[in-house]
Order: sequence, then C-alpha cells, then structure tokens
Amino acid sequence: MLTYDILIVGSGGAGLYAALESRMEEDLQVGVLTKVYPTRSHTGAAQGGVNAALANLDPTDTWQDHWFDTVKGSDYLADQDAAEIMTREAPMVVREMEHWGCPFSRTDEGKIAQRPFGGASKPRACFSADKVGHVMLHTLYEQGIRHGVNFLNEWQVLSLMHDGQRCQGVTAINTQTGRVHTIQAKAVILATGGHGRIYWTRTSNALGNTGDGTAIAFRAGLPIKDMEFIQFHPTGLRRTGILVSEGARGEGGFLLNGLGERFMSRYAPEKMELGPRDLVSRSCETEVREGRAGPEGEVFLDLTHLGRERILERLPQIRELCIEFEGVDPIEEPIPIKPTAHYSMGGIHTDLNGQTSIEGIYAAGEAGCVSVHGANRLGGNSLLDILIFGRRAGKHALEYARNNSFTPVDTGQEEADTQMIASMMEGESGASIADIRRAMGNLMAEKVGVYRNGKDLESAVSELADLQEQFKTVRIQDKTKAFNTELVSALELKNMLDLAEVVAVGALERKESRGAHTREDHPERDDGNWLAHTMATLGDDGRPKLDFSPVTITEFEPKARTY
Amino acid sequence: MIEKITPVRKSILANIRIQRFTPSEHKSAYFDNFKVTVETGMTVLEALRLIKNTQDSSLTFRAFCRSKICGSCAVRVNGKPVLACSTQLMPILEDFKKDSVSIQPLKNMPVLRDLVVDIEPVIEKLSKMHPYLMENRERIPETLEQESIMSKQEHSRFDYITDCILCGSCYSACSAASADPNYAGPLTLGKAYRFSADVRDSFQGERMQAAVDQGLWSCAQCRKCINVCPKDTRPAVSIQRMRKMSIDDGIHDTAGSRRAKAYTGDVAKYGQVNKPMLPVIVNGPKGWAAVEAADNYLEKHGIEPTRQVCTLGGQSSTQKIYDKVKELEAKGENKT
Repeated sequence: MLTYDILIVGSGGAGLYAALESRMEEDLQVGVLTKVYPTRSHTGAAQGGVNAALANLDPTDTWQDHWFDTVKGSDYLADQDAAEIMTREAPMVVREMEHWGCPFSRTDEGKIAQRPFGGASKPRACFSADKVGHVMLHTLYEQGIRHGVNFLNEWQVLSLMHDGQRCQGVTAINTQTGRVHTIQAKAVILATGGHGRIYWTRTSNALGNTGDGTAIAFRAGLPIKDMEFIQFHPTGLRRTGILVSEGARGEGGFLLNGLGERFMSRYAPEKMELGPRDLVSRSCETEVREGRAGPEGEVFLDLTHLGRERILERLPQIRELCIEFEGVDPIEEPIPIKPTAHYSMGGIHTDLNGQTSIEGIYAAGEAGCVSVHGANRLGGNSLLDILIFGRRAGKHALEYARNNSFTPVDTGQEEADTQMIASMMEGESGASIADIRRAMGNLMAEKVGVYRNGKDLESAVSELADLQEQFKTVRIQDKTKAFNTELVSALELKNMLDLAEVVAVGALERKESRGAHTREDHPERDDGNWLAHTMATLGDDGRPKLDFSPVTITEFEPKARTY
Repeated sequence: MIEKITPVRKSILANIRIQRFTPSEHKSAYFDNFKVTVETGMTVLEALRLIKNTQDSSLTFRAFCRSKICGSCAVRVNGKPVLACSTQLMPILEDFKKDSVSIQPLKNMPVLRDLVVDIEPVIEKLSKMHPYLMENRERIPETLEQESIMSKQEHSRFDYITDCILCGSCYSACSAASADPNYAGPLTLGKAYRFSADVRDSFQGERMQAAVDQGLWSCAQCRKCINVCPKDTRPAVSIQRMRKMSIDDGIHDTAGSRRAKAYTGDVAKYGQVNKPMLPVIVNGPKGWAAVEAADNYLEKHGIEPTRQVCTLGGQSSTQKIYDKVKELEAKGENKT
C-alpha cells in the first residue's frame, strides 16, 4: 500500500501551493496525485490577473476596498470573514509567489504591475502579460521540484475514504498501467478544480474539469455547498467555448444577432457591449431564445468595422485565437460566439482552514467552497483564492499530520473499485459515453444555464435521473488496461452526472435571482428567505438532500448590487 | 446597413491516417485510416475526438485545456510537431491539395500507446537541471512585506522563455536529441537559461554545470526547435546565450566552449577559422592524432600540409561586425 503523510489530489495552483507549504520543512512525505502532468493543470489557462491590494498603481488602494468589492461582487453571499482573510493576506501571497520567481510584469519602478479589472474599484490585478496563471503554475511546480514534492502523474482518483471522523486516504487508478491502488494518508487535500464540463461543449473549461474531487467527497458523505452558482462568460467561441476576452468589446467590437442587429441596444442602451458579464450573457441568450440567432444558435462578435490595421495592432492575440480555434479571421468576418460556463462558485464545504467536516480531509481552490465568491466571482479572485486557501489548507494539514497517526484502512474500497471497473469493462453493448455526455451538456445549457425557471429545472432533474440510469449500461469498448482513456472518460462522466444533479436540484430549490443564478420566475434577490448557503449531502435514497446555513456577515450589510 | 449574417462554412470528406501502437498487443506501429467530414473551424484535436466518439473508442491521445496553454496534445501532423488543439485541418487539406492527412506521435520519446509518448525521461532531465529560482538575497527581501525590484529590462531577458508550456514539440524535432539520448533537449536548456538569466537567482554556477553536463554544447544549432515551437520561445537562442554565459562564468574547460572561442578568436584575427589547428584546440594534445592523420592523407594525394593561415582581405569589415556585436550586447538581450 502506498502511504503519504499528506496526499494532495490535483496539481493546479491550490494543490501545488498546498504541497509546497506542507513540504517546505521537508519532514513529511507529501504526494501530489494528478490526472495530468502538473503543468497541464487548468490554472495555466487563467490569463488576466491575480488580485492583491499592493497599491503599486493606485496608492490609495487598500485590502478593505478589495474586501468590499469581493463581497459586493458575490451579491452578498460570500462569508465576510473568509473574504476578509483572503483580501488581507493577498499582498503577502502574491509577494511570496514573486519571491519564488514568478515573473510578473513590472512597473517602471520595477515593482509588480497591476491593471484594472471588472468589478474592482481600483486597479489591483497583478499580471504577467496575458499568461499570469501559466507562470504561477510553472513557478509552483518548479519550487515543488526543488523541495522534493512527489508527483503521481496521470492517476485518476476513485474514492475518498474516512471512518466517519478521520481521514484514511483515497483509492486511485494509475492510468499508465490500469491498476487500482489504495493510498493511505493522514491528510488528503482535494484540489481538483471546477466542474464546468457538466455543460460539456458549452464551457471555457479544460476537458478534464469534471469535478472529480467534489464528486468523490459528495459520495463519501461530505456536504457540498452553493453548487447552483455557475458563472457564465458571454463570449465563448461557437465550436469550443474558448473565451474571446473582454478586450475585444473594450476595443469597440459590436455584438450582432443573426439578423445583423446590434442587439445590446435593447438591453443596455447606454453601456451597450460593455455592460456587466451576466447582463451581456443573458442578452445573448435572449436573442437565441427569441429566434434571432445565427444558423447554429450562435450570435456574433463583429470586429470588421475596426479595420485590419487596428485589429492587427490592438487585438493580435484575439485574432490569432479566432483563426486557430474557430477558423475565422475577425478581419474578414464576424466571430461566432455563445455564452459559455466559466467558473464554479460552489464546491466542497470547508472552514477557513480548508478543513471539511471530516478531520484530515481538506479542500481548496475551485473544488472547495469557503465561501469567498458567493453567488458570483470577481475576475482576478480565482487565482487569489487558490493561493490563499491552498496555502492555508497546506499549513493546517501539516500541523494535523505532524500531530496525528495514520488511521487504519482496509482494502475493501480498493476491491469494490476494482470490481466496479471490471464490470464496466465486461460486455460490449450499452449506452455510449459520448451520447450521454452530449445530452447532459445540452440539457444543462438549455435548462440550468444562463436562464432558469422552475418548469425547466424540474424537467432537467428528471432527465438527469434518466441519464444516470443510462450510464449504468455503459460498457467500455476498449479492453486494454494500459492508458485506457475511454475508461477515464467514463469515470469522469459518472462524477459529472452526480454533480449536475446537485446543481439542478439546488437551482430548483433556490427561488430567487442572485449573482449568476437567474430565475425567470423569481427575478429578484430575496434576502429575507435566501441569504443562505445551500448545503447538499448524499441522501439515503441516493439523491441529493439540501440544507441551508447562514451567511457570515461581519461588516457590510447587504445592499442592491449596482455598478 | 443591417443585413443577415450568413457565415461561409465548408466541409470536405477527408482521410485521416493515424499511427497506432499498443505495446502489449502489437509488434510494431501501423496506420489506421478514418473518414471524417472536416468542417471549417475543425481542429486536429476535434477530429481526433470525433473519431474516438464515433468510430474507434480505443484511439488514444492526450488532450486537456484544448486552448494552447497546457501542452498535452502535441503530435506530428504530416511530420511536423504541432499542438492538435490549435491546428486547423481545413487549411492543411487545402494547402496540400490532398484529402488526406497523417497524424503521428512525437519523436525521440518512447510511445506508450497510439499518439501518447512517455515524457517522463524528459521530465527527469528537466528535474536535474535545477529548474527553479534560488533566492538571491541581494535582490529578494527576507520579508513578505516587501517586493523584490526587477526592472522591465531585466525581466525582458527571460520573459519570452516563460511562455514555454513543456509540450515537447522542440524535443521531437531536435536533431541532437535524436543523435544522443542523453542530451537534455531544447526545452530543458531553455528553462535552465530562464533562471540563469534572472537577476533574482543565486544559483548560476551549479545550474550551469548541470547544463554543461547534460549537453549544453551538443546542440547543433539547427534551429528546428525554433521552427516548431507553438509558443515562439526560441530554445536555440537560449542555448546560445547559455553557452556565452557559461564561458563568461569561467566554464572554459569543455570541448564546445573551446571550439566556440577558437572560432571567434580566429575570425577576429584572420577573418577565417584556423581549421588545421581546431582539433588540437578543442581536444587538447589528443587532437594531434587527427592533425597527423589529415597531414598523411594530404601527403598521400600530393598536397603539402600547412600550418599557415592567411589573413583574408576585408579584415576591417570583420572588425566592424565584432564591434557591432559588442555594442548590441552592451544594450542587453531582448527578444527582437
């Protein structure tokens, strides 16, 4: 049996920061289990910035301003004590990244450069050109090599084990060999990222953002929180959902429907294309719903009127992206776009140290939910979240592992998981993974997407239950053990189906509109009834059971969220 | 003014030839052909996924971000290493005026299955290169209350290399890596240079020695790595700069550095390289054996060997080139 003092599942920013923090003094065995290679993790895709009130650009900026912006952006669903910790510690973790070699862009004085960002009252997003997530991820990986962190690359986690009180470890399959293993650990930190892929092709997320850690925690009986809140970005490319950044609209791009009308005049006649993200997403969706879309249900981001020169000079990367991923040159023709699921605000419920309801089990980053983002995350706060809470989880797990012994673990789970996989590999016929996945993505986008209403959500919940039934008949056609990516896809789909149901059930239950959750049948925010976190646990009937817990309010009384 | 938008979207029925290999089942690699309707906008990765979903679920490849930042999906398309996710199929089919395209795994690494190669050996080489910043306490404060100061110009010395996504395309194209399995490869040496060029780093000597030990002077400067890099990180340029840095650091005792110094010194002196003496300068007294062999060969063919090197005309122009290089170096090393 493999043993680690601390096992971290997931190798993005949160996982690697936790690994470094807990390995720094080099007295404990720390392993990072990842289904990819660490530098492939989705943290690398974050382009814009990481928020910290360094006041390098605007000397009047303070962490308290950042705190307020975060709470307001969350539509007052963030826990204010958690948001306080995050914003107060932000300058320190950003400097620590910098001291480890992270190559942030520089100001003329040689300090860390900062830029303005949506929803922020001051320019506080620290950046490195358009690759800040990428350079942060590489920096953490590099320091991990330096400090002797162990990496289990291309392993897929299967189950989380505990005895009802304390952590035991996990089971996982080594994709390269196809063998199932028990990994005993005093502490497990789940840092597996978000679950945007429940919208399948309608997401900006990586192919593997399938919520594995959140799903295994849910199946192990841990509560998962605020799952109905999914942030949508208005301008994802038609085919892939890859983001065309707000820069294109900032530079004067028009949003057109299939009829060629500049439709934002209907929804935000003053701000037009530069309205807030959620409003623009809803406007695009309305055009599609009311039959004014392009031939494949898309709308268009038109830059052609800016002219060749201006596009080449000001938006060269956006042009390259459209040519490479969509086969469309924005100099010649409008870019086909669709709103795309971008970020999962919800996740595994944790306290301020990232600890869950089970001792020794932690969660951090997009997989976890403290909560700091509430109903809507601000740009630049996701990279900050992974640093702050990855670090806190790592620190706390370190102390926990030093002061506790291993909890005995039997190999029953390994046997059960091996059996589960064997039965999926047996036989030929059955439902197709690709068909179920596509059906799940389409129904989530249509019924649990930008707009929601009770009727659609009810039908989504029942259709998801049907898909769960179909999934039981899935058989893996590829019978080779080593590097069986079809099997990995099936395991991921199982996780997504479980989480999609929790998202839909939560959205059905929450009868108000707040942040990213928009109910057509309950269009107003309702603080009287719904200023509360949704807690979902696995019920005895195998379905999600919902409870609600109060939001921590320490400083800012909820007010209308206007910009 | 307002007119309906009708995008032009073409489609071609194409033959996608994919190299297959499962070590436990096949003796050697072979090709499978798949018919796919390629549409405007379809990337190589989308075609692979379509084939996996609809024709052969055992087709094995890596992919993750599908937006050109994770480096998982590097494969060879018609022989050239590319990222499958950011490579459009339609223009390739149109450019080659063929309805067929071949997809193969990267070279210079063992194939684990189909298009998946074992990158572990490359990661091991990278790990031995000390690919991390060791704090230079003159530049990095002890306290997290302060930032370290690094000018834009200092940052620009290595910023271009931090675009590297470790996709392995350069390693696949590298002629030195195919000749010598122990050669570290372009991406690892690029990463080594990235830290050695960072003013916040204090580890220069040991990392430099690691680079020398892992083949800093084995690179043939064929620049294939530059041609295939999807992020334009220009590894061969970093290798050149790393070599210069190693000589400046006083690591003179390598065949490569001696050769480099003989070339630059001779050209400055004579306008050309003193080829007869090169083996001795590079390999020490052992080099005389090569010189004598050459002498014998020439004598056998009736040619008188010489130790003389004439100074070519236009010496002053050579001097101007050297002066210009020194001037550019003094200005600093930028990407352009």
